[in-house]
Amino acid sequence: MNTHIKSRVHLLGDNINTDTQCSSKYLPGKDNAYVAQHAFEKTAPDFAARFKAGEVIVAGKNFGINSSREQAVHIMRMMGVAAIVAQSFGRQFFRNCINNGLPVVECDISDIADGDEIAIDLAAGSVTVAARGIKRTVAALPPAVQSILAEGGLIAFLQKHPDWNAA
Amino acid sequence: MGYTMAEKILGAHAGGEPARAGDVVVANVDFSMIHDGRAANALKMVAKLGAKSLPSASKTAFVLDHYSPPPNIEAANTHKAMREFADAHGAVLYDVGDGICHQVMPEGGHLTCGDLIIGTDTHSVTYGAFNAFSTGVEGTDVTAVMATGKLWFRVPETIRIELKGALQPGVWAKDITLTMLGRLGAEGANYRALEYVGSAVSAMEIDDRMTLANHAAELGAKAAILEADAKTLAWLEAHGARPPRPVTADPDANYVDRIVIDASALVPQVARRHEIDDVVGVPEVQGQKINFALIGTCTNGRLDDIRQAAAILKGQRIAKGVRMIVTPASRQVYLAAAREGLLEVLTRAGASVEAAGCGTCVNITGHLITGDGDVAISSANRNFKGRLGNDKSEIWIASAATVAASALTGMITDPREVAGGKWTAGRAA
Repeated sequence: MNTHIKSRVHLLGDNINTDTQCSSKYLPGKDNAYVAQHAFEKTAPDFAARFKAGEVIVAGKNFGINSSREQAVHIMRMMGVAAIVAQSFGRQFFRNCINNGLPVVECDISDIADGDEIAIDLAAGSVTVAARGIKRTVAALPPAVQSILAEGGLIAFLQKHPDWNAA
Repeated sequence: MGYTMAEKILGAHAGGEPARAGDVVVANVDFSMIHDGRAANALKMVAKLGAKSLPSASKTAFVLDHYSPPPNIEAANTHKAMREFADAHGAVLYDVGDGICHQVMPEGGHLTCGDLIIGTDTHSVTYGAFNAFSTGVEGTDVTAVMATGKLWFRVPETIRIELKGALQPGVWAKDITLTMLGRLGAEGANYRALEYVGSAVSAMEIDDRMTLANHAAELGAKAAILEADAKTLAWLEAHGARPPRPVTADPDANYVDRIVIDASALVPQVARRHEIDDVVGVPEVQGQKINFALIGTCTNGRLDDIRQAAAILKGQRIAKGVRMIVTPASRQVYLAAAREGLLEVLTRAGASVEAAGCGTCVNITGHLITGDGDVAISSANRNFKGRLGNDKSEIWIASAATVAASALTGMITDPREVAGGKWTAGRAA
């Protein structure tokens, strides 16, 4: 996993429910590829058409609230979401991201706009939008969590470290 | 400085010493649960891991409750795969009609005081009613536990909630949790553990304590933990649970917040249409017309909930134009309600009683879809627009007593104002 991410911002709002916006919980029989084509369209029309692999989602508070299907993270990985920066995350969603190798950064997002170029340094714990003079320090993830992310998620981590010992 | 219950339980499962809020620990899990809404994904993760054996699968319950009975081929095939997996790996299977995961887990004796439990459902916090640390996770997590017996946890900060005084007759744990939601807002306790203590908690029967812990999910809480007392221990023993290891918080434990609620002053509460944290006292919305009344779910489908409804509807008839569905939380609850004659009371009153399961909580079985303009009052836990399959209908959330009183009159009604509405279970006065 790359600990330096530099890419374009796709801005979403507060309280995004990934079950209703990015899962098949209410679309029985639809596969991940179908849901990916319609992800977040209820809140950001044409999101899937505009989003390119390697780009970043920036969102407000409580991103991924509610029951939070792990499938949402599988779909975002399929879409190539490089990282999610949000004011805060739903507990379960945050966990699902770590478990599936999708970097998540909890950070003040004020003044960051759709289309901005954002730079994230996961190891040092910083979020930068140079064009706007924004440089914010964020708490680095605990080492145990970083090890899981570094392997691309918990399944890959356990295949390599079945005793949980990454040291 | 002392430790909270969450810090003690997680620490004890991660090698011995209590942990501190903010620590990430790898801890031994005592028991796990997977339900049919998440099993397809979980089984994909099991296949992806490709472990030679799953030694802790025998400490995992597979529960067929959400799609019960299955409304489509996909769900029926998931059930088939779950039965086959349980057979092959020695997992404990609860089949269609056995009940909701959060009811069959404690009834089956799968958890005890001091345990660390996970389940693939947000409402897995319910088991905190038994002095366990219990939290909702996903398929990857349960796969990891079945393979290794362990999982990573970030130790949460804790909010201590003291419920002092005593609930009035006709006021229930649901009215406390709705009050909390109105006060903190949905997700207002995101990432936090809650400790519920105080005289009003001690006075509660186990059924109501489970409601208290269960609804913490809507607050976004990672766990909600109650202290154990003689009632807890007797209930666990009667259900064949492992020996309890009760945990209490230290007097000098560190809390991010302390909340005191005077239970004596509470009136029945209701969450208004679409928003679980838009909560008002029932007297404020008295007279709001309803045409669906739903009692059931992991929040309020237990025996005392059905008793509340039967106490109000005994010898009565629900209002003209109102449809009422009662879904017992489990087969055991169903049988107990049958033995007490409650199902006959409710059926005579005009309600329909369904087989145990998640029932009318969410429109995934497709057996209850509201019509345009319909207003449902439900004892469930979520009421967002479209939860019952129609964006043009409304769901209001309240206690089983308030739902039954409302079914009787056809409008939202304070249970304390109807005959039988002040029934109190065995609750100490």
